[in-house]
Amino acid sequence: MNTIEEKLWNYIDGTCSPVEQDATARLIEQDKAYAQKYQELLALNQEFAAMELDEPPMAFTYNVMEAIRTENAMQPLKANIDKRVILGIAIFFVFTILALLVVVFANVHVSGINISAADIKLPAGVKLPSTNSVFSGPLVKWFLIFDVVLALFLTDAYLRRKKTTRQLQ
Amino acid sequence: MQSKLSDIELIEQSLAGNQSAYADLVKRHQRFVFTLALRFAKGREDAEEIAQDCFIKAYRSLASFQGQSKFSTWLYSIVYTTAMTFLRKKRVATDSIDDENTFIQVESQESGYDTNNIENKSRSFYLNQAIAQLLPDDATIITLFYKGEQSLEEIAQALGMETNTVKVKLFRARQRLKEKLEQNLKQEVKELI
Repeated sequence: MNTIEEKLWNYIDGTCSPVEQDATARLIEQDKAYAQKYQELLALNQEFAAMELDEPPMAFTYNVMEAIRTENAMQPLKANIDKRVILGIAIFFVFTILALLVVVFANVHVSGINISAADIKLPAGVKLPSTNSVFSGPLVKWFLIFDVVLALFLTDAYLRRKKTTRQLQ
Repeated sequence: MQSKLSDIELIEQSLAGNQSAYADLVKRHQRFVFTLALRFAKGREDAEEIAQDCFIKAYRSLASFQGQSKFSTWLYSIVYTTAMTFLRKKRVATDSIDDENTFIQVESQESGYDTNNIENKSRSFYLNQAIAQLLPDDATIITLFYKGEQSLEEIAQALGMETNTVKVKLFRARQRLKEKLEQNLKQEVKELI
């Protein structure tokens, strides 16, 4: 059951149904106690509505924007890389590999079960460069050494990250 | 000078990388966010920290703002959760504070009270004083309703409550505020006599 005050607040806020609105309006007109309470609450409502907002310090906006700028600057490079670029590179490689596979399978002639008889032919216009001079002994060795060092570096970085995450948890 | 663009337009520009558009959004809502933060924190420094934190959080998740509600409603829900987290942390930290600090706080409040004459105190002073004595939830609902241009439904959305709950809470908060105002004024009259 609503109290008089609750009914009057609903009437002032306009949150009651039209029927309740009419009933309360009639009560205010006819009942002196209602009318008095209504005037009291109306005055209070006006006072509440006149409440003043507090002013933040002058440099507030500047401080917020500075904090945002600092946070953006501290973001690791990894988070700044556009995922679309990575997707584009991945699509390029997938298409290249698929195209190569199509070309290879289209030109493979398997006669019987003799694998050594398989004949891979490239299209007439395509000429592969000679790789014998490029993949010389020392170059392959340096390439392998570089790969090993890179693999060790990445494994180390991965393990460190894993350890840090575990410590934070 | 503040931008005349709508909140949505400023959000779109901010998402496109225009930081000055977000600065305009901050300028537009800072007074209200700061006032709401003060309802929880009481001290200006803490309120500033909460308000700043809210705007940074809002910036971080600006892309997730769907535009289904008003930006202000969305922002106030961030203020509410941030302030609640702040209060929880603060409660843990203040558990160890001894009575001496509390006494100093009360004393300084009283001395501020004595130095002001009733003539110098505006109606808004009494109102702010009474609001400061309310529970954070009551003060927040009253502020959102009267100054946040928020409907009961929007307040419910911002606070994560049912509309009817907010309606009842608003009614009770207004009653408590009225009582506090009366108490403070009676006290003031007693001191004068």
